[in-house]
Amino acid sequence: MTSRQIISEFTLQPGTGKAIELLKGQILRVEQVEGGQCADFNCFNLHDYKEFMHCGRTRTVHGFHPTKGTFMWSAPPRERAMLYILEDTVGRNDVLFPRCSAYVYEASYGFAVHTNCHDIQAEAQREYGLTPDDVHDSFNLFMCTGVDQDGHAFMTRQTTKPGDHVDLLALMDVLAVPNVCGADVMKTSNFALKPLKLTVFAATDSDLAQVPKTPTLASQRTPKDFRNAVIKTDRPLRRDPAYRPEFPNTPIVVSELPIALTPEELADFNAVKRRDIYGDDDAAALRDLLFSWWEERFLQAHAGAPAIESK
Amino acid sequence: MAETVVTLRLNQQQLELLDRTIAQGVAPDRVSLVRLALREYAAARKSDGTSR
Repeated sequence: MTSRQIISEFTLQPGTGKAIELLKGQILRVEQVEGGQCADFNCFNLHDYKEFMHCGRTRTVHGFHPTKGTFMWSAPPRERAMLYILEDTVGRNDVLFPRCSAYVYEASYGFAVHTNCHDIQAEAQREYGLTPDDVHDSFNLFMCTGVDQDGHAFMTRQTTKPGDHVDLLALMDVLAVPNVCGADVMKTSNFALKPLKLTVFAATDSDLAQVPKTPTLASQRTPKDFRNAVIKTDRPLRRDPAYRPEFPNTPIVVSELPIALTPEELADFNAVKRRDIYGDDDAAALRDLLFSWWEERFLQAHAGAPAIESK
Repeated sequence: MAETVVTLRLNQQQLELLDRTIAQGVAPDRVSLVRLALREYAAARKSDGTSR
């Protein structure tokens, strides 16, 4: 296939969202109609809604503004690439802010009722039997944000134009749920609510060839790996009297490893050890040095993020 | 020549990482690996003029 075949088209009106079955190998385009509109986005494994897109994992891998060439990842313990951002004509998306909610508009603006991304997502997801508690942190398309010097996330206006778009390629069958962000009294969408155009395409061979390979590892667990794979169906929490903890790699056992340092090695150590953190505890300072060196020499990803290149 | 002994306290997971690194041929044993780490870590900071 050399040109993309359109499967469906839809206009998302202000105040609304739409749950779309996006099958593996299909592309969802979220497109500006008038420009200046943020879209919030949720995504679930179509065959197991407990696997959902995780902004936290996505931002540790790709930073605060994932764009073309990055993935949307599912939450631990699944941690699979769900969608690939195949195209992004703007390059400014956000995974810092949560969805706006009714509470925000009531608490900060005094609205008894106001369009908000949580409630819009919940209403769109209801078509597939999900509840308001199932709405997850949103990937915010076209949302222009940053972090100020005090460590607070901020949002500002966007400069998107009609026709600007983000193309999301499904790497598994998903329920994709975009919504027109409900914020018309914030800078998010330049103080107005506008429609967005949704188009689902079949990916071409050329589209599919652009996707980098990601690892398949034993730690990407599915319910067959869970000690408790049954989805809880009632609301109260009650202790399981049969519970016996089985935490991995416990007990943690500490061993001693004596290292005899020559005067030259000791001088090197004293020159670089983190006395500011460890004081006179040379054992802790040498352990820090050892693993800091290991990170510098061998770690392929940002610290705390998984490596995503397939070996 | 007087040596100074610093006794590292490492748990089984940390030792596993060291042992897998040794298995790659980086150093012949745990003690040698720590010495290599110290040498390279200190050299890198001498060359860029930092102590961090």
